[in-house]
Amino acid sequence: MQRAIIAGLILGILLASLGVIATLRKMSFFGEGVAHASLAGIAVAMLADVAPLPIAIIWSVLVALIIYWLERSTKLHSDTVIGILFTASMAFGVILMSQTAGYQPELISFLFGSILAIRSIDLYIIGGLALIIMLWFVPSIKQLTYLSLSEESATVSGIKTKTQTLLFYIALSIATVLGVKILGIILVSALLILPAATGRLLSKSFKSYFTVSIIISEITILLGLFLSYIKDLPSGASIVLVGTAFFLLASLLGKAKT
Amino acid sequence: MPKQSRKTNKAAIDVHHLSVSYGENKVLDNISFQIPVGNVAAIIGPNGSGKTTLLKAILGLIDVDQGSISVFGNKLKKQRDLIGYVPQKFEFDLNFPITVEEFMGLARKKNQPALVIEEKIKEVGLTPMILQKQLGELSGGQLQRILIAEALFNEPKILILDEPAAGIDIAGEKMFHDIIDHINKDHDTTVLIVSHDMAFVSKVVDQVICINKTLICSDAPKIAMTEKNLKKVFEDVNLSHHEH
Repeated sequence: MQRAIIAGLILGILLASLGVIATLRKMSFFGEGVAHASLAGIAVAMLADVAPLPIAIIWSVLVALIIYWLERSTKLHSDTVIGILFTASMAFGVILMSQTAGYQPELISFLFGSILAIRSIDLYIIGGLALIIMLWFVPSIKQLTYLSLSEESATVSGIKTKTQTLLFYIALSIATVLGVKILGIILVSALLILPAATGRLLSKSFKSYFTVSIIISEITILLGLFLSYIKDLPSGASIVLVGTAFFLLASLLGKAKT
Repeated sequence: MPKQSRKTNKAAIDVHHLSVSYGENKVLDNISFQIPVGNVAAIIGPNGSGKTTLLKAILGLIDVDQGSISVFGNKLKKQRDLIGYVPQKFEFDLNFPITVEEFMGLARKKNQPALVIEEKIKEVGLTPMILQKQLGELSGGQLQRILIAEALFNEPKILILDEPAAGIDIAGEKMFHDIIDHINKDHDTTVLIVSHDMAFVSKVVDQVICINKTLICSDAPKIAMTEKNLKKVFEDVNLSHHEH
């Protein structure tokens, strides 16, 4: 439980921060796609009998790079490209899983998330990669926001827009897969979207938007994990339902103000 | 007494035999012109004539098929810092929570003091009180002026504006003309504007560049904006629309 709380708090900051930029760029579906696509990476690792998380991360980064390339080299919309890639990758994962005989508890924990699934090595991976991502992300927030609002103006002002966009895709795919252990493949993208959406309803400035989103994310995770622990519920589903409750509350508050 | 901009014969922007295509579709064909330092120049042409593509090429935002663009005699890449840009469309979610101050802070370089934001706000005729407003609350004219103020951060030697007066009322237009005049004369900034506003073009600018895929004219308004030239610029496209 202790490891799950530490990992949850780290993921709360990471996913909520990236989620603010992802929702601004209308990339909510990207997290969903990458998380689902990671199933193939997990399946490969399970067949090869190696640790699933690193393989799932590598797989998801590859998927993110292909999405980035296809978005720019074809005239297809982003959601079409993501939809094709995530279903293809998931289908590949299902085929590989079908080759593994018997009940697979680890697969179930990856699909739906489990607080018991966080081992010490996972915690080091989550902590280490989250630190690397935040070391790049925090100094890049201004640039990422500017290029999300006006890519042309950002390019003219000297921002390396292509590089920053590519790095954001990579960071987002890694962060999403890091959250899979607690939230599960099916629900992890909720932690990208829910705190950012709730924070947006309660904020009037960009600074407060970031702060509120992170605070909401941390409270959501703590409450969700607590509920999951005392009621023996799946951790991912508990966290998402708590986050949804906050979102609905913020919507009502916002409506009451107008 | 208003200052006069230092007009010289030296070219601020030199476009040389420029051609641009989008796939099979040739959008600009062998365009050449020069904009002397200190000029206020306007690009005119009907929709689909390649105006925005020409601006994007000058800004280095798109790849060109042929030709070259130099800025103050050097390659564009080396001179990008000298250019300020105000885009035509600034489409963002109006409910996005960001104040004007925070938005302007996005474009501020680390070595520029925070005070530069207030300075530039005043220069475009706004009061610092607007900084605490949310970006989505601004009128079209206010947003346009904020974008111009932001483009002035780097003290650009060339300011490029893509249809800046679109959607602004008459009072706003007058203010906009005064701002352009101030930037040109007091900052010695060469200004290039894509405009549909013929009254503005004939009164305010020093040079009119008429394009309709090819260059039709590039001269002072009195010389360039002849009935023959304007017919050539605007009628050809009407014909091509009828063909569809």
